[in-house]
Amino acid sequence: MEKNRRTKKLTQTIDENLRRAYADTAKEPVPDRFIKLLEQLREQSGEKQKPSGDES
Amino acid sequence: MDSQTPQMDPRDELIGHLPAMRAFALNLTRNSATADDLVQDAVVKAWGNFDKFKPGTNLRAWLFTILRNTYYSLYRKRRREVEDPDGKMAGQLSEKPAHDGHLAMTDFHAAFAQLTDEQREVLVLVGAEGFSYEEAAEMCGCAVGTIKSRTNRARKRLAELMHLDDEDELAMTDAATMAVVTGTSVA
Repeated sequence: MEKNRRTKKLTQTIDENLRRAYADTAKEPVPDRFIKLLEQLREQSGEKQKPSGDES
Repeated sequence: MDSQTPQMDPRDELIGHLPAMRAFALNLTRNSATADDLVQDAVVKAWGNFDKFKPGTNLRAWLFTILRNTYYSLYRKRRREVEDPDGKMAGQLSEKPAHDGHLAMTDFHAAFAQLTDEQREVLVLVGAEGFSYEEAAEMCGCAVGTIKSRTNRARKRLAELMHLDDEDELAMTDAATMAVVTGTSVA
């Protein structure tokens, strides 16, 4: 049981480190190439898309 | 198909998932240029397949699955060719060393880079993203039990590499590690 407790704590420590390392990367702003890519994709699919179902 | 769905168009939500996709891709490829190429391929693929996405299900899981499949089908072989045995690339993981406790973070990145693809992947999915074992199993196309044991083994390996084995609890509470964990700065 003592071992379980330690393992649990270790798991927490590792996951917290993971989340932090990961969050550092995920915080970076999205580069322009992706904004442009999405615009392109949208234009392409806009030509053959039916009107979207989202009307407010 | 069903245009009456009250959900947002997943196409509009995609951009919100890009930072996470880039982080996941970086963890898989361990190279920032390759990571962004991978994300681009995955985005194009996802866009062409949005009709297969079930509204109301987890969009991020769906996107990660595509990204992951793209990686294993197109990129893994390629990466082997540029693999560097000195682990220089590991440094690219910490492009922005945290001002607080960066030593511990560097250790962490270096240790993380030594894990296998499957181990890094499962730690990102389960440990960092917080997907359930079931979700991760579905994304990786394997059994829940496999994901569980892989996750445990990956955590254990990481602990060993960081010399944080469970007999050594002190190491986990040292100031730098705690700073990393809590996000406070080391005085």
